[in-house]
Amino acid sequence: MERIRSYLPLWFMLPASVAVALFFLIPVFMTFVFSFTTMSSDTGILGSRYVVSDDTIRTLKGSGMDAALLEKLGSRIFTFDEAGLAALRKSNLKPAVVKEIAEKLSGKVYTSEKKLFNALKRLNNRPRSFKDRKSVSRSIVQTLKNREFKTAEEFRAGLASIGVEVAEDVFENLLDAANMSWKWTTSNYSELMASDFTGKILANTAFYVFFTLFFNVGFALLLALATFYMPSGQSKFFRAVWLIPRVSPSVIYIMLWRWLSFDNGFMSYVLGFFGVEPENWLNEYPWTFVIFANGFVGASMGMIIFASAVVAIPSDVLHAAEVDGAYKWQQIRRIILPLMAWPILFITTYQTLSLMTSFEYILLLTDGGPGFFTTEVWALNAYHTALSNYFGNLRYGFGATLAVMLVGVGIAMSLLYLRLFDFKKLVAEPQIEN
Amino acid sequence: MEIRLEKFSKSFGPVKVIEDMDLTIGDCEMIALLGPSGCGKTTTLYAVCGIHKVTSGRIWFGDKDVTALPPQKKNVGVVFQSFALYPHLTIYENIAFPLRIRKESNADIKKKVDEVAGVLHMETLLDRRPGQLSGGQQQRVALARALVRKPDVLLMDEPLANLDAGLRLEMRSEIRRIQRETGCTSILVTHDQVEAMSMCDRIALMNDGKIQQIGSPNDMYHRPENRFIAGFIGSPPISFADGKVEDGSFVTPGLRFELPDRIKKASVAAGQNITVGVRPEYLQPDFATPIEGEVTFIESQGREVLYDITLAGGQVFRSIQTGEQVCKFGDRIRWGIDVNSAFFFDEKGDRI
Repeated sequence: MERIRSYLPLWFMLPASVAVALFFLIPVFMTFVFSFTTMSSDTGILGSRYVVSDDTIRTLKGSGMDAALLEKLGSRIFTFDEAGLAALRKSNLKPAVVKEIAEKLSGKVYTSEKKLFNALKRLNNRPRSFKDRKSVSRSIVQTLKNREFKTAEEFRAGLASIGVEVAEDVFENLLDAANMSWKWTTSNYSELMASDFTGKILANTAFYVFFTLFFNVGFALLLALATFYMPSGQSKFFRAVWLIPRVSPSVIYIMLWRWLSFDNGFMSYVLGFFGVEPENWLNEYPWTFVIFANGFVGASMGMIIFASAVVAIPSDVLHAAEVDGAYKWQQIRRIILPLMAWPILFITTYQTLSLMTSFEYILLLTDGGPGFFTTEVWALNAYHTALSNYFGNLRYGFGATLAVMLVGVGIAMSLLYLRLFDFKKLVAEPQIEN
Repeated sequence: MEIRLEKFSKSFGPVKVIEDMDLTIGDCEMIALLGPSGCGKTTTLYAVCGIHKVTSGRIWFGDKDVTALPPQKKNVGVVFQSFALYPHLTIYENIAFPLRIRKESNADIKKKVDEVAGVLHMETLLDRRPGQLSGGQQQRVALARALVRKPDVLLMDEPLANLDAGLRLEMRSEIRRIQRETGCTSILVTHDQVEAMSMCDRIALMNDGKIQQIGSPNDMYHRPENRFIAGFIGSPPISFADGKVEDGSFVTPGLRFELPDRIKKASVAAGQNITVGVRPEYLQPDFATPIEGEVTFIESQGREVLYDITLAGGQVFRSIQTGEQVCKFGDRIRWGIDVNSAFFFDEKGDRI
C-alpha cells in the first residue's frame, strides 16, 4: 500500500526541533567556534574594544616604545576646557568658586593633580576642603588609562584628549596593543597539547570513568541478579532502596557523604569504637569517595534496566538450564549474562558518556581537590576554566577547547563500544526469542 | 528405569494442584499424561524433573529416592513446550550444553553430539542458531539436547503443540521411533488425545489433579471407567443422553430401548437415573435399536460424514458414516444404535 506522505508531522516536530537546536545543536556548534577564539572575561564575547591598561603599558615598554610617550599614556591631565567647565557647573561647588575658576583658569592645563591643587589654592574663592578640590579634579580630569573605546577613531580622540599626538605608525602600534577584543586563534589547541596539566587531568578522567563505570555496571548487575533470585517482596524493597540516591537531590546526597567522611563524622565515630583515630577520610581517600558517591547513583539506573532484562528471559530457558545440570552461577555465566549483552552494552556506553561529561558530584564533594588537581576531571576542568575561576580570567575560548575535546573523545568511545559489542549483529536478530 | 510416584501432592500456597497421586511407569515405557488444561499434568512433570519441589509424597527413579533432589542432580532430559533453546548458542553448543556443564572432554562431546544429531537427521544444522531454524527443526534440537546426556527419564511437555499440523504428524512417529531406539522411560504431557493414543504405551488421564484412569489407548477408548473419560477420549466425541430405567428399559423423551443383559444384571433399580453414551460409529442407518429424529447438522469430512440427530426430547446424538452423504439437513430419519457397544453411567458418573 502507498504510504500517505504529508508535511504535517514536520509541523508537530517543530517545537522539539527548535528546542534541540536551541539547547543542543547551537551550543555544540558555538562551543566549537569559541574553541578557536581567545575569548575570556577580559575580552568579553562582543565586538571590538580598545583599552590601555597597566598591562598594556608594561607590554609596550617591553617592546621598546618611547618611555616619555608611555609616561603620558599612563598620566592624567587636568584641563579647564569647555567640557570641564560645564562639568564644574553641574557639581555642587559654590557658584562663586566656579565663577572665579571660569574667569581665571579657563584654558589652563595641568599635568598632575598636585599642580592643579596649587593653582586652586591661589584663588580668592578657593575650594576650602580637600573634598571640594577633589571634586574639581574629578570634574575636569582626562585620562586614557582603563577607558574603553569602541572604535579606532574614538581611541584617537581619547589620545588627543590627553594631549598625545603621534605619528601614524606609532598610532597603529598603540591601537594594536590596546586592542582588547577577542581574536581568532588555534593557540588554544597548541596550549592544551603543551600544558603540563593536560596529562594529569586526562589520567584523572580515565581513572574516574573506568573505576566508576566498573563499580556502576558491576554493582547494578549484582543488584539485578540478587533481586532476581529473591522472593518478590524483598526484591521490590531492595530495588526501591537502591533508587533512593537517584531521587535524592544531589546537594543533599553529597552533603551526607561529606558528613559521613568528616573527622567528627559518622565514619570516624564508628571506627572510633575499633580504636581508629578520627580522620578527614574524604581528604585522605578522595578518589574512593568520588567513585562510591558516583557509582551508587549510577547503579540504580543499571539495576532497573538489568532487572527488567533478566525478567525478560523466558523462565523455560532457565528451567532448561537447570535440568541440563547448570547451577545458579553457571546459569548466570552461560545463559543470563550472554543474553543480556545488549542491555549491558547500552548501560556501559551510556554511563561512559555521562560519566565523562558529569562533574556535579565531584564539584560538590571535592571541587577537584584536595590540593592541586587531585580529583580534577576533564569536564570539571572545562567548567573551572570557562565558568568558575577564582584566580584569573574566565577563559571561555580555552574552556570551549576542553569541551570540544570531550565531545571528540565521547564520539570515539561510542564507536569503539559499538565495534566491541558487534552492534549490527545485536540489532539484526531477535535476542530473547525462539 | 522405572519411575514411581507415591502419594505425590503438590500445592502452590493454599491451592492444591495434585493430591495423593500414585503412578508407576515401567522401564522403557512411554506414558502420556493426558488431560484438559489446568488439570496438573505439567505440574506433575515439573515435580518429576525437580523444577518444582514436592509438597508431600515420594518420587522414585528405580530404587533411588529422588524426591528432594534438585534438577541438576537428576539426569532427566526435558523437552519444553517452548523448546527453550539457548538463543545465543549455536545448535551444536545447544546440544552440547548438558555435557559442557558436566565438563566432559571436547572429543567426547563431539562424538555424542554427532551421534544424536545423526539419529535426529540434523547434521547440517549444527552451525546455525535457534533463530534461523523452523519450528520442527527447533523441536528436534530440543529433543537432541534432552537425549544427548543419555537421561534416566525423558520428559516432554506438549512437545508438538507449537508445530503445524503436517509436522506434528511427522514428529509424532519420529519421537516414538527415537524413544523405542533409545529405550528411555518417557513421560509425555499433552492435552491432545490423538497424540497420547498414537505415541504412548499407556495413558494416564488426569482431571482436577487426580488420575481418572490409567490404561492402554484401547482400554481407555473401549472401557472408560467414567463419564469424564468417555467424553474426553474419542473424536468426534461421544453423545450422552440422561434418562431413567423403566421395566428393564432405558427411557428418555423420544427414545426408549431395552437395556442389554449385562446392564440388567448389574442391579439397576427401576426409576434410577442413568446416562447412556453412544459413540458416533455405533449409530448407523442399519443398526438394530431404532432411533428417530431430525438431522440438524451435517459436516462432510470427505471420507466420512458427520451427522447430528436431534430427538423429539431435544437430546442430540452424533453419527459418523463412511461413504457419501445419505440425507439432507432437516430430514427426519430413523436409524439404529448398537446398544451392546453403548456405555451406561450411574448418577455419580461411573460406568455400569
